Amino acid sequence: MIEVEGLTKVYGGSKGAKALDDVSFTVPEGGIFGFLGPNGAGKTTTIRVLATVLSPTAGTIRIGGHDLVDDPMAVKEKLGLMPDEVLFYPTLTGRQHLLYYASFYGIPRAEAKARATKYLDQFGLADARDKKVKAYSHGMRKRLALAQCLLHDPEVLIMDEPANGLDPQGMRYFRDLIRFLNKDGKTIFLSSHMLSEVEQLCERVGIIDRGRMVAVDSIQALSARLSAGAPTVLHVVAAGVTDEMVRALAAIPGVESAHRTETGVDVTARAGTDVSSEVSRSLVLAGAQLHGLHQEQRSLEDLFLTLTKGGAT
Amino acid sequence: MNLPPFLRGAPTVARQEFLGNLKSVRMIMMVSLLSLVVVGGTYGLTAGGGFSGLPALVAWPHPAFAENGSHVAVVWVSSPFGAPLNGIEVEFSEPRGPTSAEVIGRASTNATGFVRLDVGNRTAVSVSARWGTSETGTSISFFPPSTNFTFAQDVGDLDDDGWVDDLGLHVLDLEGYPIDSPRPRLILNGTYVKDMDARGYGLVRLPEFTGTVNVTIQVAGEEEVLQLPVLEDPFSSFFGGPDLTLYLISSFMAFIGPIFAIVITFDAVSKEKVQGTLDLLLSRPVSRTGVLIGKFLGVFGAVAFPLTLVNLAALGVLGATSGESPTGSFAAAFLGYSLLLVALYVLIQLVFSSLAKTSGTAVLFGVLVWLLFNILYTVLTTMIGLAIPDAAARHEFGRYSALGSPSAIYSSLVSLAYPGELGAIFGGGTTLGGDVLGAAAVVWFIGLFALALWTFHKKAAE
Repeated sequence: MIEVEGLTKVYGGSKGAKALDDVSFTVPEGGIFGFLGPNGAGKTTTIRVLATVLSPTAGTIRIGGHDLVDDPMAVKEKLGLMPDEVLFYPTLTGRQHLLYYASFYGIPRAEAKARATKYLDQFGLADARDKKVKAYSHGMRKRLALAQCLLHDPEVLIMDEPANGLDPQGMRYFRDLIRFLNKDGKTIFLSSHMLSEVEQLCERVGIIDRGRMVAVDSIQALSARLSAGAPTVLHVVAAGVTDEMVRALAAIPGVESAHRTETGVDVTARAGTDVSSEVSRSLVLAGAQLHGLHQEQRSLEDLFLTLTKGGAT
Repeated sequence: MNLPPFLRGAPTVARQEFLGNLKSVRMIMMVSLLSLVVVGGTYGLTAGGGFSGLPALVAWPHPAFAENGSHVAVVWVSSPFGAPLNGIEVEFSEPRGPTSAEVIGRASTNATGFVRLDVGNRTAVSVSARWGTSETGTSISFFPPSTNFTFAQDVGDLDDDGWVDDLGLHVLDLEGYPIDSPRPRLILNGTYVKDMDARGYGLVRLPEFTGTVNVTIQVAGEEEVLQLPVLEDPFSSFFGGPDLTLYLISSFMAFIGPIFAIVITFDAVSKEKVQGTLDLLLSRPVSRTGVLIGKFLGVFGAVAFPLTLVNLAALGVLGATSGESPTGSFAAAFLGYSLLLVALYVLIQLVFSSLAKTSGTAVLFGVLVWLLFNILYTVLTTMIGLAIPDAAARHEFGRYSALGSPSAIYSSLVSLAYPGELGAIFGGGTTLGGDVLGAAAVVWFIGLFALALWTFHKKAAE
C-alpha cells in the first residue's frame, strides 16, 4: 500500500517554488488510485517523489510498509515505475533494455532472459525484441515501458499516463491490462488526464491542484459530497406512462417536479431525499411497465472541473 | 557480490556506460583522431626530420674583380637545395659603422639566379636578398685573391636525417662566372665525389658522425681544403632521442586528451535526462553515489582503454622507427599521467553534464571547459601575472599558476618525470616539486569527485 502524509516538495532550496504542499492520501493494498490534476498541478512531482527520484522536502511516505526516506532501497525493490514519455537508450534493443534493468534487482541472467522474452511476447514486441529502440513507434515504447515496469514483479505500480498517445485499441488494451494486474494483486497508482479511463478503472481518486490535494475519496462519495444541497434527479425508464401517472409522481412528498421523457419520466426531488421506492411503487401500481430507474450522479469531469476551478488537465 | 549500500548499482551502470561508449560512433571518430595525432605524430617526429630549420633562400656571396681593377659583388641566389631563384631583389650596401649602412645599389637576379654589381673600390659590401617576406643577408670582402677561384659554402640538414651534414658549395672564377672545362671537382676526405654543375653549385653529403671532415675544391690544379665539423641537427625532433620525442608527444596529449574525455563524457548524465531514462534508473535499487561512481568508472574506462592502447602503439612506433626506447620510468609516467589527465576531465564534464538540462547545453559546457583550461587559463594567468606589480610576487604566481589547471598539472608532472634537462625551446620544466604537483593532482581529483557527487545528488534529477 501507499501512505502519503503531509508531503511537501520545494525546488531550489527553502526560498524556492513549492511544488507540493501538504499532500496526503492513501492507496490501500490491491487498490487502484486515480490521480488527477491540471497541468502543472504537481502530478509528475508527486510521481517522481513516490518513485524515489526526488527527495521530499517534508512529509512521510510509506510504500509497502517501508519508509521512503529511511529505507529507500526496500521501497525501490517493491515499486515499478512507468513514466509518461521515455525514449530509452536509442542504440539498445528492447531485450537489452530489459536485461539491463533486470540486473539491478539481482535477477539471475537466465531468469532475466526468460522474463524478458515473456514480457516482450506478452506485450506484442516479440518481433521487435532485437531491434534497436530508436526504430520503435510510440506505442511500442509504451509497451516496453510497461514491460520494464513489471519485470521484477513489483507490488506497487506507479503509472504516469499509461495510455497517453495511444489509439483506441491501444487504450482499451492498457485498460484491460491494468484491470488484470490489479486482479493479480498489484497496487496501482495511476496518473492520467483521461477522466473516462480513471472513471472506469479507479475506485478511489485524488485530485491535486496547485500543489495541494483538493479531494481524495471514491468517485461515488465525492459525487455525493459535491451533490449535497443540489436536487436529486431520478431517471425512470418505463413504458405506458400517462400524464395522470406524472401528476401522481409530482404529488409524492419530497418530489419537486416530474416530467415525461422519450424513455419514461424524470423526477426531481429535494436534496437529500430518496424517493426512488415511492416513485417505482406509484408507477407499477398505476400500470406502467417499469424497466429501470437510476439516480443521476455527477460525472468525474464535473467533479474535476468543480474542484480545480475549471482547470484543464 | 554484496556491495556496500552506497555502491549499489555502480557495477551495472559502469558496465553499461563502458560498453555503450566503446561501441559509439563518436568513440570511433575520437580514437581515429587520437591515433592520427599521437601515433602519427610519433612516427612523424621519429622518422621524419621534425622541425625544418632551413631558410627559404640562400645568397652565395662572391668577390670578383673586373679587368679594370674594379670590385664586382656577385651573388648567386638559390633555394637551400641549389635551385636558382629568378627575380629575387638583392640590395647592396656599404657598412657605415656597426648599425648603419648606405645602400649602393639594388638589382634582381637573372634567370640563372645571378646578380652583379660594380662596387668600385669598396673593400666590403653587405648583401641582402629578399623573397616575399623571407630575407637573408651576407657580406662580401674584397681581399687579394690567393687562388684563381672564389667559393661560398652553406651547410645544413637538407635531408632531415638529424645531422647537419649536407654541404652546399658554390665556386666561381675571379671574374664571377661559373667555371667550365674543366669544372671544379669536389673531394671528400681524399675521395673524389663529383664535379660542380653548370652554375658552379655542388652538394656533398658528409659522413654522419660528430667530428671533422676534409673537403677539397680542385680547380685547374689549384685547390682549397676546408676542414668542416659535422654536427647533429639541433632542429631535428629526434636529436634529443626517444625521451624528448615522447615529451613532445605528451604535449599533443595535453591538447587532445581533454577533447577525447569531454567528447565521450559531455552527455553522460544529460542524455539520460533527455531520454527520460534517468528517472527509470534512479527508481531502481541503486544509490545515487553508486550511479555516479558507475558513470565515472564506465566513461573513464571507455576513454582510458583505447587511450592507453593508442599510447602503447605510439611507444611501439617510437621504438620500431628509431630503434631506441624511451626511459622506462618516463614512458610509465607518460602512460599514467595521461590517464590522470583524462580522469580529471571526465570528472569535470560529469559535473557539467549533471547541470545541463539539454544536449545543447551539455555540448556548450564541453566546449567552454576545454577552452577555459586549455586556452583561456593560460591567457588569464599571463594577464594576471602582468598585472602584479611586485616582481617577486609575479615570479611566485608564475610558478604556482600551473596548479590551477588540470592540463597544466599534467604538463608539469610529465616534465618533472623527464629524465634529462628540458631546453627552453620546448617550453618545458617546472620549478614545483613532485610533492606539490602530486598533492595538487590529488586535491583536484578529490575535489572534482566530490563536486560531481554533489551536483549529481542535488541537481541531476531536478
